[in-house]
Amino acid sequence: MPAPVELSSSKKRKSSKNGAPSSKRRAVAEDNFTETLSTIQDLETQIAESRKHYNNIVTLISMMKVEDNAKEPELAAAVSLCRVFSRLIAAGNFIESNRAAENEKIIVAWLKERCLEYQRGLMAIIREADTTSQVTALTLAMRLVKERITHIPGAENNIWATLFKDIVEAVVEAQDGQDLQTEFVNKFAKEYEDVRYFTFTHLSEYADVRRSHEIIDSIIAILSACEEVPAADHEFETFFVPRENKSKQLNSASSHKKRAQEAWLAILRNDLSQPQRKSLLRIMVHHIEPWFSRPELLMDFLTDSYNAGGATSLLALSGLFYLIQEKNLDYPQFYSKLYSLLDADLLHSKHRSRFFRLLNTFLASTHLPAALVASFIKRLSRLAINAPPSAIVVIVPFMYNLFKSHPTCTFMMHRTIRDKDLAAEIEEHGMDDPFDAAETDPTRTNAIESSLWEIETLQSHYHPNVASIARIISEQFTKQHYNLEDFLDHTYQGMVQAELGTGERPLKKTPVVEYQIPKRIFTDRMLEEDGGVDSGPASFMRRLWDF
Amino acid sequence: MPPSQLKQLKASLRDSGVIGPQQSKKQKRQNARTGVAAQNRNQRNEALQAIRDRFNPFEIKAPKNRSKFDATTRDGSSTTAGGSRPGVTKSLGEERRRATLLKEMNSRHKVGGILDRRFGENDPTMTLEERAAERYARESQKKLRKESMFNLEDDEDDDFHFTHMGQPLTLDGANVDDFDADGLDGQGSDDEGLRKRKRVVEDDGENEDFIDYEEEGEAQPEKKKSKAEVMKEVIAKSKFHKHERQKAKEDDDDLRDELDQELPDLFEALRGMKAPPKKEPAKQDLSGVNPERALLMQEPEKNTEREYDQRLKQLTFDKRSAPTDRTKTAEEKAEEEAERLKKMEENRLKRMRGEKVSDDEEEEEDDKDSFFAGDESEEEDDAVAFGLPTTYQPRADMGVEDEDDFVIDDDLVETRSNVSLSLDGSDMEEEELSDEDDEPDVPEQEDELINGMTLPTSTTSTAVGISESATGKLAFTYPCPSDHEGFLEIIKDVATEDVPTVVQRIRALHHPRIKPGNKDKLGKFSEILVEHVAYMADETEQPSFAVIENLLRHIHSLAKSHAIHVATAFRARFREISNDRPLSLLPGDLVILTGVSTVFPTSDHFHAVSTPAHLCIARYLGQCNVTSLSDLATGTFAASLLVQYQSVSERYMPEFINYVLNALCNLAPAEPAKEIGLFPSRKTEKSFRLASSKKITPRKLQFKDVISSPANPEAEEELKLSLVNTLVSLLGSSSDLWSEKSAFIEIFAPAREVLQHLRQSFKNKAFVAARDTVQSTLDKINTGLAQSHLSRRPLLLHNHRPLAIKSAIPKFEENFNPDKHYDPDRERAEVNRLKKEFKREKKGAMRELRKDASFIAREKLREKKELDAEYEKKYRKLIAEIQSEEGRAANDYEREKRARQGKR
Repeated sequence: MPAPVELSSSKKRKSSKNGAPSSKRRAVAEDNFTETLSTIQDLETQIAESRKHYNNIVTLISMMKVEDNAKEPELAAAVSLCRVFSRLIAAGNFIESNRAAENEKIIVAWLKERCLEYQRGLMAIIREADTTSQVTALTLAMRLVKERITHIPGAENNIWATLFKDIVEAVVEAQDGQDLQTEFVNKFAKEYEDVRYFTFTHLSEYADVRRSHEIIDSIIAILSACEEVPAADHEFETFFVPRENKSKQLNSASSHKKRAQEAWLAILRNDLSQPQRKSLLRIMVHHIEPWFSRPELLMDFLTDSYNAGGATSLLALSGLFYLIQEKNLDYPQFYSKLYSLLDADLLHSKHRSRFFRLLNTFLASTHLPAALVASFIKRLSRLAINAPPSAIVVIVPFMYNLFKSHPTCTFMMHRTIRDKDLAAEIEEHGMDDPFDAAETDPTRTNAIESSLWEIETLQSHYHPNVASIARIISEQFTKQHYNLEDFLDHTYQGMVQAELGTGERPLKKTPVVEYQIPKRIFTDRMLEEDGGVDSGPASFMRRLWDF
Repeated sequence: MPPSQLKQLKASLRDSGVIGPQQSKKQKRQNARTGVAAQNRNQRNEALQAIRDRFNPFEIKAPKNRSKFDATTRDGSSTTAGGSRPGVTKSLGEERRRATLLKEMNSRHKVGGILDRRFGENDPTMTLEERAAERYARESQKKLRKESMFNLEDDEDDDFHFTHMGQPLTLDGANVDDFDADGLDGQGSDDEGLRKRKRVVEDDGENEDFIDYEEEGEAQPEKKKSKAEVMKEVIAKSKFHKHERQKAKEDDDDLRDELDQELPDLFEALRGMKAPPKKEPAKQDLSGVNPERALLMQEPEKNTEREYDQRLKQLTFDKRSAPTDRTKTAEEKAEEEAERLKKMEENRLKRMRGEKVSDDEEEEEDDKDSFFAGDESEEEDDAVAFGLPTTYQPRADMGVEDEDDFVIDDDLVETRSNVSLSLDGSDMEEEELSDEDDEPDVPEQEDELINGMTLPTSTTSTAVGISESATGKLAFTYPCPSDHEGFLEIIKDVATEDVPTVVQRIRALHHPRIKPGNKDKLGKFSEILVEHVAYMADETEQPSFAVIENLLRHIHSLAKSHAIHVATAFRARFREISNDRPLSLLPGDLVILTGVSTVFPTSDHFHAVSTPAHLCIARYLGQCNVTSLSDLATGTFAASLLVQYQSVSERYMPEFINYVLNALCNLAPAEPAKEIGLFPSRKTEKSFRLASSKKITPRKLQFKDVISSPANPEAEEELKLSLVNTLVSLLGSSSDLWSEKSAFIEIFAPAREVLQHLRQSFKNKAFVAARDTVQSTLDKINTGLAQSHLSRRPLLLHNHRPLAIKSAIPKFEENFNPDKHYDPDRERAEVNRLKKEFKREKKGAMRELRKDASFIAREKLREKKELDAEYEKKYRKLIAEIQSEEGRAANDYEREKRARQGKR
């Protein structure tokens, strides 16, 4: 029954006429453009009128200008072709019936071939053209998918496996495809559960082969954008193609998760660059692991990353912790490894607070050996001597909490030597730090015999607030516990702002001014008067610098 | 069944002995004589009252909440009192209302009337006799109490004498005043009229009283005490008073005589010179003159005496003049100055240790409280307690507000250094300038100090010549600019060298003493100057540091009076740095930071300007990226600034060590083979390693190295080597600074390795010149490390007294009384008490008002009834009258009729 379809599609035509071409109008020269537009219009109506004008399809396809490269496609032609094919599909012209005449069959085959040609053109546009064309072509292609599945019975699996696969690949491989990918994710993959399902399927197949870093980047972007993990009892309702017979696969959460897991695993197995690895580790806990019905599959990836050292290790820590906690993963020498992470760059890295949050969890147990905790404390205090104030501010309360839960370690702050001989020897020769900084095993560093001279030195830190925080270790331990979270995310900027405020505000109290106005600041003026000896304020600068 | 009421009454009367067997007459008489009768009467009255109470149980109201068991309550007093007597109180209240309210009611809408102010008239507790006696006593006291010593008339007014049998009652002549006796007799009769008038004015009321008394006294001849007794009493009283008065008078006279004699001396002391011996005043012989005239002559004398008295009083209250300070000798002045400087230094050290420099202790406590405020409330952010900003709200800056409370001492103002400000020796202006700064507290002689000093104009080498040549073109008056553009406009045509002169003139012209608004203007101007200093360093290719220095010194001197403005300007600059370019300092920023080191004390534990300055530099050193040699020079400059900042307080700066070691590693000719130490190493993108084959010598670094990198490679190498040299010497200075730190070894062990590496790589002949510095610094650090190793001891941080275990014993109140309030919060208890009192008072007042209203209503009703009754009576009377008249008329008529009939 062509009539109602005709009606509905003519409505669509109207809307698309108002929408798509108008945006294009500015791009092409005015008169030239209107001319082509009218030609396309004519061709389209002719096709709708009679079969004998089917050859117009070929003209339209050629008008799309996608033969050699699809840099500047004629979108109007593509849109009108989409309409033409939708109409034909809806009218049942693509269905071969056995009873049909020979010439009918030929026409159907011919039409199918043209349709394929058209699809290839669309894919080319998606791959190569500019963003707006890409998005339009994507929409057209998806429309075609929908039409074909709804109106051609039994074509579903075939279409998903062929046409949609092509689309997914094209989207992934598209040039400058960020916008296209977000469009794809937001409009289709996130919206419709079947689209998401098949996207996962195709992506996992696609990523099985080694791919370039850019492509993997875009795959990661698409995959990580699909955040909503269906719960086990999730009702799958929003489908791109309305269907009556509910296929079992599409309706079970586990199969969805399985597809996603496969896709992710394919990515993880692929050749990853260092930044990619880091970004994957960063989203590991919140975006990747929920998709995994068997998270232990991540183990290899995580342990590899953890062993890589540096920032990668820091990032792998949280994923690993998740596995240890949830899946009972046994990681031998976990604490030695953790101890080795405390290196010179740790306190200056931007993952500092993330690391300290985890470290706080790892060292929270009161059943840890005191020697081990002492090693961590001593190591951190060594690092603190070269740390920025924002890091010192974390370390000291953290130590305080450790001291509170491991009172044996408090010898590091207060140790009276009872042995008379030893005391005499120290009195005479001084003492070495018993702590062995080179030892990698935290239980054998002998840190518990050492003292925290570093923190004591930091009590005279130039920043008054840092100094007063460092002072807590020499005061009575009356507070039960410092909330580490309050100390974590401080920065230089925050500290400066705390001192200066964001806007001009009058000072509450008059600041003290140096009582003596120096005779010299930069120059040697009046030096003779002082007998040629340059002393007093700012003389240090004058000695080192010429102004 | 109990006996009847009558029987009970009789029994109780008998029991209490009110009625008993008749006493014999003899017995009665005896009783009356011994006073037993009176006693008996009293007893009887009491007994009767008790019986009346007992037989009228409704008179007594039982207490509302009678306690059931005596044992359960401690305060048994209320129960034993036996409740109140509503009847009695009611009637009392009624009576009082009748006495007050009713009177008011009756006198409403009435104007005028006589107020009875006689003593004791309204006091019902006094008997008539008592009243009379009291009045008389008052009257006589009044007479005795002489208001003025010199009011002569008062004394002899004896209008009123008690007489006895027509003879005046004289009290052995005691009532004759001595004073009257010696001079003024005979005048009495003459000036009587005058006197009378005066008296009438003075004490009307008393007279009235007195007269009243007389009348009453006559009207009431019946008294308990006989009149003789009363009079005796009165007389005795007045005698006593008179005696006392006389004594006082004598004392006064003595005193006066004494003073009279001393007066000349006093005047002498007052005038500060010996007065000529006073002429003996001409004796006034008044006996011969007309008494009135004599009186007139006497009058001025009285006046003088009064005046004299007043003077005397004033003199006694005058403050004694203190001896003036003598002028100080030069040594003393120097000593004082040294003392002052010492005090300043002490204050600085205090601030360095983070103690509060304030004279009053309370303030200190306050600050302490607020500083540790975070500790008290547990739910607060822990970090906030240390003055750190809360992460979600980076603006919170408790730390700042709490700590920067340094009050600028007035004697901070230093005059001596102001003098040296002058470049072009215009003495007058200079003096003005110095005047300005030593505001009220510095005494005047400071000026002498300035004048005495040789003005250092001759020694200012460069600027003097220039300014002398240029001053001719300079205007003498400049407006005070209100923004930096305005200032630039002003100095547009002025040579850079003359800017200080212009600044000086602006300061002189807008001296705060000239106009009240000038203080604000100068404050603004000081902000502009700060801006301008940075501007000069930023804009000009080769800034003139003589001028900048001079401006900075101007800023410094302005900062003493406008500290807040200057500090705000500096802080604004830091804010700009931290927001716009935290990791790329401009030359202007460096100059400003250098200025901070001289204008503000950088050793303070907390300072509103120094602390942000530290943070800015540290942030730069900690995070900057080195992309060019000038960056390295900037970093080196900043590092040396940090060392200068800490030259007094010797605080530890991790960023400094990190930066210096990193820079040295990056500048060293060869890369160190392994990781050195725990400082984070940052490789520069471009290599800045020393790579010279030619021999080069390090030079002193120049400020322009910061601005631009050298063009040719040779100069570049030279600069690199100079940088290395400077950085190494910075390491040396810092090792001196921090030699006392307990973690010296941990800090400088990496430094030693870096230096050793440097020494290794300086084997090349080209760097021979720098080798010495490296070696000497290395030696210094080595000795420091050895020292530190020797003095290293385990930490002993917790020598605190062990904390007492918190007591959990409940607070137990002995002798607890539930009626008492044991509120530990004084204020709250007080408030509650007041509230309760208020409530009670309010209730009472309302009750009273209600009762008043009902009383008034009652009275009105009564009045109305009375009026009605009166009206009714009148009406009836009239009716009766009319009726009787009618009746009579009728009778007449009848009679007439009958008579006529009879006639007929």
